Amino acid sequence: MGGQACVFYGAAEFSRDTDFAILADAPNLARLRKALAELQAEPIAVPPFALKHLRRGHAIHFRCQHPEALQMCVDVMSKMRGVDSFPNLWRRRTTLQIPDGEKCDLLSLSDLVQAKKTQRDKDWPMLRRLLEAHYFQNQPKPKPAQIRFWFQELRTPELLVDLARRYPAICRRLAGQRALLVHAQSGKMDDLEQVLLAEETAERQRDKEYWLPLRQELEKLRHAKLGGGS
Amino acid sequence: MIQPEQLVGGEWAEWYRLTPVQRWLESEKLWQTYLALGGSLDPEPDTQSPFFDARASRPRPAHGRTGVRVLRRGRV
Repeated sequence: MGGQACVFYGAAEFSRDTDFAILADAPNLARLRKALAELQAEPIAVPPFALKHLRRGHAIHFRCQHPEALQMCVDVMSKMRGVDSFPNLWRRRTTLQIPDGEKCDLLSLSDLVQAKKTQRDKDWPMLRRLLEAHYFQNQPKPKPAQIRFWFQELRTPELLVDLARRYPAICRRLAGQRALLVHAQSGKMDDLEQVLLAEETAERQRDKEYWLPLRQELEKLRHAKLGGGS
Repeated sequence: MIQPEQLVGGEWAEWYRLTPVQRWLESEKLWQTYLALGGSLDPEPDTQSPFFDARASRPRPAHGRTGVRVLRRGRV
């Protein structure tokens, strides 16, 4: 769900860890433990590798000791803010076959976009790139669902204005869902940039608020670990 | 219709025009170069991540030095 998916969809991230979104149930965790054992991956930091932490929304972090993946970090999550449940993610996934025949299942672009709406600076230029790449790939003959997706998610003022010019009726209809589309219709680039920034700031704030209790839990777990407690 | 070059310049436009599999392969080449140059798979600390723990220990590189060193410092 991380850097590798971003590269596939058109952004460019040189991410050195590997992030997995998984179904948090006991049989799947048993399979994951087996795969991690092959990578000689050990849990690092907190929380410990347990179903309850995954279901709560924490990420479990591992570091690989296998010579072919030495020091590579693997992060596993099951629940992400604003992102659909795992069965729906799985239904919408993209499957990629790489040249050696291996298959990789990636989050769909729309799910990846939701997952990247975080409090971190680096995710926002990435979001913009992902959406631009999708727009340019599909703009000659877009499907209705793609047009709606762009109106809902694009973060590039020029493309929003272009889209509003090409599909004014859809833009008017969706303006109730995304207020900044009014500025796309008017074509005022400066206003659009400002409201895009405000939208980003609000989303980052929501992410911080979402993580506040989870960070407190992590801090308690760290203290317990340092104190030798459970 | 806006073309990628009008918005993001030549390099990004070229990247956008690749197919997903081509991008994947290009990224693999970059990885091979990075690893051939001695790059580590240990990620940089992400201080804005909610998981970031400043007290967490990090593995030292096998050669005992940090990954990047200033060899020559220019004047301001």
